[in-house]
Amino acid sequence: MLIIGEKLSIIAKRVREAMMKRDKGPIQEIAVAQKNAGAGMIDANIGPAEDGGEELMEWMVTTIQEAVQLPVCLDTTNHAAIEAGLKVHNNDYGTPMINSTSNDPERFPMLELAAKYNCLIIGLTVGKGGLPADEEERSAIAAEIMARTMEYGLPLENLYLDPLVLQIATTQEQAVKVIKTIKMFQELNDPPMKTVVGLSNISNGCPKDVRHILNKYYLALLMYEGLTAAIADPSEVIETVKTIDVITGKTLYAHSYLEM
Amino acid sequence: MAFVPPKESFAGRVFPVTIGTGVQQTFGGENTLPFHSFEGEVPNRPLIAYEIQDVPPEDWPETVRRLYDGVSDDPVKWAKYCEEELKAKAVALRLVGTHPDSKDLSADDAAKTVTDVLGAIKVPLIILGSNHVEKDSEVLVRAAEAAKGYDCVIGKAQEANYKTIAAAAMANGHKLIAMSELDINLSKQLNILLTQMGFDKEKLITDPMCSALGYGLEYTYSVMERIRLAALSQNDAVMQPPMLADVGMYVWKIKETQAPEDVLPEWGSLEERGIAWEAVTASSLLMAGSELLIMRHQRAVEAVELFVDELM
Amino acid sequence: MALTGVQIFKLLPKTNCKKCGFPTCLAFAMKLAQRQASLDACPDVSEEAKATLGEASAPPVRPVTLGAGDKAVKMGEETVLFRHEKKFVNPPALALEIKDTESDDAVDAKIQDVVGSEINRVGQLLRIDAVFLNNDSGDAGRLASLAEKVAQKAPETAVIIGTENPEAADAAIKPFSGKNAILYGATEANAEKMAEVAKAAKAVLGVKADGLDALSSLTEKVKSLGVDDMVIDPGARSAKEMLEYNTFIRRAAIKKNFKPLGYPVINFAQRDDALHESLVAGLGIAKYASIVVVSSAEKWKNLALFTLRQNIYTDPQVPMQVEQKIYKIGDPTPDSPLLITTNFSLTYFIVSGEVENSKVPAHLAIMDCEGLSVLTAWAAGKFTGSKIANFIKESGIENEINHRELIIPGYVAILSGAIEEKLEGWKVTVGPREANALPAFLRSAQAA
Repeated sequence: MLIIGEKLSIIAKRVREAMMKRDKGPIQEIAVAQKNAGAGMIDANIGPAEDGGEELMEWMVTTIQEAVQLPVCLDTTNHAAIEAGLKVHNNDYGTPMINSTSNDPERFPMLELAAKYNCLIIGLTVGKGGLPADEEERSAIAAEIMARTMEYGLPLENLYLDPLVLQIATTQEQAVKVIKTIKMFQELNDPPMKTVVGLSNISNGCPKDVRHILNKYYLALLMYEGLTAAIADPSEVIETVKTIDVITGKTLYAHSYLEM
Repeated sequence: MAFVPPKESFAGRVFPVTIGTGVQQTFGGENTLPFHSFEGEVPNRPLIAYEIQDVPPEDWPETVRRLYDGVSDDPVKWAKYCEEELKAKAVALRLVGTHPDSKDLSADDAAKTVTDVLGAIKVPLIILGSNHVEKDSEVLVRAAEAAKGYDCVIGKAQEANYKTIAAAAMANGHKLIAMSELDINLSKQLNILLTQMGFDKEKLITDPMCSALGYGLEYTYSVMERIRLAALSQNDAVMQPPMLADVGMYVWKIKETQAPEDVLPEWGSLEERGIAWEAVTASSLLMAGSELLIMRHQRAVEAVELFVDELM
Repeated sequence: MALTGVQIFKLLPKTNCKKCGFPTCLAFAMKLAQRQASLDACPDVSEEAKATLGEASAPPVRPVTLGAGDKAVKMGEETVLFRHEKKFVNPPALALEIKDTESDDAVDAKIQDVVGSEINRVGQLLRIDAVFLNNDSGDAGRLASLAEKVAQKAPETAVIIGTENPEAADAAIKPFSGKNAILYGATEANAEKMAEVAKAAKAVLGVKADGLDALSSLTEKVKSLGVDDMVIDPGARSAKEMLEYNTFIRRAAIKKNFKPLGYPVINFAQRDDALHESLVAGLGIAKYASIVVVSSAEKWKNLALFTLRQNIYTDPQVPMQVEQKIYKIGDPTPDSPLLITTNFSLTYFIVSGEVENSKVPAHLAIMDCEGLSVLTAWAAGKFTGSKIANFIKESGIENEINHRELIIPGYVAILSGAIEEKLEGWKVTVGPREANALPAFLRSAQAA
């Protein structure tokens, strides 16, 4: 399973300050730490970034890729910033990913960019206003996003469907619906559709000491249903990923499997 | 084909709560959804308390304020009027005058009012603060002491002040209202915190926060339904206290109970509209699971009682 | 049981021909599973697939329409017992009873009450949806002339004809032939003849029995007589019976897929006292009725029942939104503070409540963010510096206040620079993160 390191987010104070000051030190330190902990891709979340988003995303992508030989997941609602980031992205380290398109017309241009640069893209199964009620509604939106993806000429293999994980503290009943959605998404195509979640959203708003517990057990259940990728803190989830991969037979067991 | 009614029974039961010493009242105790006596036990009627205040109700709309002309200048007279003339089964005394933005009455003032009112009525008393987090933790502590031995309901304990208020309720033998703001998970959390400090969960009343018809009623309605389902189908003991709907306060401040008919002719009679607003809000929340109601207008209370007669 | 979208997809031609109006067969299948599309839209589906899908896709509560035209009321199609699980689908119709024994003046007044009942509440047009014409006299002629009068004076209003006499029914329903009137009611004794009348007038048949066992047998019988569209009355009259029967009917239909009770329910809430009647009608609205018959339509009662119906049938998944505008809390002056937040209604209720508590009059700017809360709206790019600046400029508030200070929620402190940059001459102050800190914040600001 692919872990997309979530730590480079504008929500975190240290990262935000480094972004504002264009201080490469903390950004690269965090990127390296995530790679060492097991990340296969690094998320760069610069927020809505209305002003100066292009230059900021360029800086983020080059700063990250100077430090780690990994692809970047470009995370903002600003299309121009995404395109600026894609232009400077070093594809020798892997295909970049756009985070994200959805069923909201404001997010359609993201698909156009994904097709133009032949990169990966997250398809968030939400529409304009309102959250999807269950796995059926999410799959219905997924089917629309898939159809649009094909119209834009992007292969479905490049699309990662995201059911939108919601906070257990406020919408408990959604947790199990998202697990069912992961299963259903895969049935929408042959070969099965790829899936991704923003894992830590499950524990948003929960006390700090229970957050990592919720994240890890939730990931185990999602992986059992065939999750392809998770935006998560690699140091927190790597044991879970390795252990579930062993249990489900995806990697061969050895006593020291955790060290591999 | 013959029809077999799809009855459902539950493992859980709502705690019955008895309050008062002179005349006692009991509410809660059912092991089924609200008024589902066709598939479970509903041993007690919901209890409706008349709301009075420690200071004259200047901000109540005319429709309901004038009912209490001549008695509302004195909480003792007002309480007696509710018991004797309106046949109130319980009285809820809101110490709104203690709020720093109202008269900023002291905790001792409040204690005296409580003592005087308790001396004047036989029905159970619910003692409510002014919903000022800091002031309530002073006022309700003194009020609880003043009411020692009367088995009252003290409220409301919230996340920010529950410790002092719960300790005072416990030490003086009262029931306690635990209020959280329209969030089932926070409501459960507050009840857990209260039981962890040693407060008996069978002496709690959950207030998930009321809202008026047209002003978020559906939130309160659904939070109440979900709390009740957790109590019954998940047998979740901390969700098994009965629930309060503090109806009057939320209803008698909105536009529908205040806008005159000559301004909004399409809304019809102001008097009837206000009363219906309080009664429909209350009856809807009864359907959602509340067992204790606090209301203001006599005709609304009587209509809800008649509705309950039809349902029991 | 209902099929999932993927199961339906397997039965479709998989040609992606787009003739159904959807881009792919998969997208069409997903819409079918949600009952937002009809299989008829696919010209190439096999007969075998049609049979399988038709059976499986029949909703547990049959969709039935009352009335015709713009004011037709959809009923049935419900899928859950509690509104927090999923949206209740079709709000119940309110029907005003008119007896054929009432005086001409009383009848005219009631028709006027119905025609003039429409009001607009938070963007929705709400009204008394139908009239229930009660053949109280037992005389066929009187019912027919009442029906004629209603057809002339309230031509757009849906009609329920209430009689057990097939001849009276036949005469009274004539003006409404083909207009989805309801003919109430068929009983064990008259089912055959009533079915004939209903079929001839293309009317929905109201079916009435005492208790659910008798009702199930009767709907089966009526169905075998060739009538598919029914509304059912289990004979409940007290509130207690309404709750019991309505609950069992809904459960049987949804949890057991019991077809004989899978129809919309009609309840009778008429009481001597209008206030009492409001509460019984409210029970019908909250607990599973599709039609609630009332005896009077006072404006105050209508408003309360319309509002309750709207509240109960709100989609719990769509955040309730309040209108974008600058609200006045208390009695603000041009010097009073200006706060901004999003239009998630819970946010609005709590923030406006705390501003009220503070007793500091204020202007509260509520910005349309599709009903998202502050942080979510920010993350989704709906509550950003430029959007806030635009809203403030276009709101016209600059002409109403003397100062240029905007208080923003503490959660979006990060926006203060961006807003100041785009709103020239304005100062942005970061308020508290939680609303309950507002009273202290506003009072100390006022004192300063």
